[in-house]
Amino acid sequence: MRTLLQRNTRYLLTWLPVVLLMCSFIFYILMKMQAHHMQEKQLQLKQSNIWAVFLKNNGNIERSVPGEYEISKETFNALTLANEPMDTSIYLSQKGQLLPFQLLSAHFKWNDGIYRVSTYVSSTEISHLIIKVFITEAVILGLLLLSIVILNKKSSQLLWRPFFSTLKQVNEYDIIQNQSLQLPPETGTTEFNELNKVFTDLINKVNTAYYNQKQFVENASHEMQTPLAIIRSKLELLINQPHLNEKVASQLADITEANDRLSQMNRTLLLLAKIENHQFPDTQAIDFSTLLRMDVSTLKAHYDDNFPELTMNIADNVILNANNSLIEILVHNLLNNAVEHNIQQGKLSIFLTSEKFIIENTGPPLTRPTEELFERFRKGSHMSKTTGLGLALVKQICILYNYSIIYDYTNGLHSIAVYFK
Amino acid sequence: MKILVVEDEPSLLSSIQEYFIQEDFLCEGVATYTESIRKIEDFTYDCIILDLNLPDGNGLSFLKYLRSEKKDDGVIIISARNSLDDRIQGLNLGADDYIVKPFHLSELNARVKALLRRKYGKGTNILEAGNLKLDLSSRTAKCNEQPLSLTKHEFDLLTYLLNNKNKVVSRQAIAEHIYGDESENMPSFDFVYWHIKNLKKKLKETECDELIQTVYGLGYKISL
Repeated sequence: MRTLLQRNTRYLLTWLPVVLLMCSFIFYILMKMQAHHMQEKQLQLKQSNIWAVFLKNNGNIERSVPGEYEISKETFNALTLANEPMDTSIYLSQKGQLLPFQLLSAHFKWNDGIYRVSTYVSSTEISHLIIKVFITEAVILGLLLLSIVILNKKSSQLLWRPFFSTLKQVNEYDIIQNQSLQLPPETGTTEFNELNKVFTDLINKVNTAYYNQKQFVENASHEMQTPLAIIRSKLELLINQPHLNEKVASQLADITEANDRLSQMNRTLLLLAKIENHQFPDTQAIDFSTLLRMDVSTLKAHYDDNFPELTMNIADNVILNANNSLIEILVHNLLNNAVEHNIQQGKLSIFLTSEKFIIENTGPPLTRPTEELFERFRKGSHMSKTTGLGLALVKQICILYNYSIIYDYTNGLHSIAVYFK
Repeated sequence: MKILVVEDEPSLLSSIQEYFIQEDFLCEGVATYTESIRKIEDFTYDCIILDLNLPDGNGLSFLKYLRSEKKDDGVIIISARNSLDDRIQGLNLGADDYIVKPFHLSELNARVKALLRRKYGKGTNILEAGNLKLDLSSRTAKCNEQPLSLTKHEFDLLTYLLNNKNKVVSRQAIAEHIYGDESENMPSFDFVYWHIKNLKKKLKETECDELIQTVYGLGYKISL
């Protein structure tokens, strides 16, 4: 995966040199052609000038100047000459080397016969010029390439700024907080305006859906309380009927139990909804150490002989700033979970320091994936008497106070660790 | 003793009425705000059981009206709302107690009796059943004039059963009464069984062992 900028730069660096090379090649050909044309014109001009001087002086001029011209009388019927310049080399004595020249020859008639006039133009300068122009061009193209890449980088950063700002905001968006997302409607770019609009609409819809769902759970739980109260009261009247036989009584007992579980579930769902809705704003300093010790002893009394072997290592004066009832629920549910899902003659260890609270207990391994442990209504099927909401509540409370909660299972030991901030 | 039940749900109203009539109370029931106002204008009640959501008004305004008229009828609110704020608001407006729906009738009964005891002085702070005597102000119990050494929970349990004398009280109701909100997330009510077991053992030592009866799987009852 590469960033947009990297991809763009890579693309430019792959294709721009190819395009620039092709352009240079065409430039070279065109320049070559122009140079050739210019030389031809020069040669023709020279030719006509020299012939004019020759005629004026009645042939009394220097017949040959090396590198400039040469006039010779044709001794035999000369072949027609192509009126085209051609490459040649001349040895120039003052330079002491063979140099490339362009040669144009033509036949002229004068008095006694046909004269051949050859004119020369040096190719060295023009080819040097071509090379110099070409080098200059290469440098310019190189600079162009560099500046395109740099400009592209700069402009990308500038152009994509609204995009990255949107990305950051959307990334920081948390549905549980149910906050509304304020994306700027005007970014200066139509596409990003559109993007922000789409995001804003989407998040508003999500917020509404989330809010409705939460409201639904809360309303449903509320509405269920009255029917539950009716059932409960009728059951109480029923179990007080005289002359109940054992069969009816046991059925009534089952109904009572199921109804009570339903009530519990309902209350817990309401509680969850309330925590999600941040309806527990009042926080206070809580002496967690004392609370934990008290809860352990209460629970020990509940379970009497069935309580697992207990190891406690509780640091004193661990103070938390939170809602008292929520912290009580947290401790209670974790402890209860550890005892309820224990084995016969099992073990229970409780550690508390100012940073963390760890509960370890023996117990059969989870039948479901670990990730589902803290979800609602995920429970081991063998525990039909539990609501399956206890750990979901714990999780919700941890989310509320930014505690992290970590579950681990090794060597038959379940461990749940809560890290305070 | 006269009780007024203000509850808009007819089934629940009739249940409450039936339970309190069985307890030998004089129990009247109304379903609307208007009716309830008319009732308190004409009569005085020892206790009013008040639902907050009424079709034509709010239970809290009823409460306000009642207290503004300088009537000191005891009021127990029964409400589906369970937040601390709701409770505090209700109690501040002059309610004596607050129970959240769904509640156990035995719990409501115990609360009504506690309220009446508070209201009518110390003389009624002794609960008796046969040879068993509970003194609620000093929190002591005696059986056949021999003192019983009970834990807090055992004493509460015994008080609860005595408040609901001759009634079967379910284990769930006991659990909720003893542990309050804590019992909400308790997956099993086995601990009620342990408490009863210990209590029976202690009662047996003072020869009151026949007092608490187990009614099939339903619950427990003290009857004479």
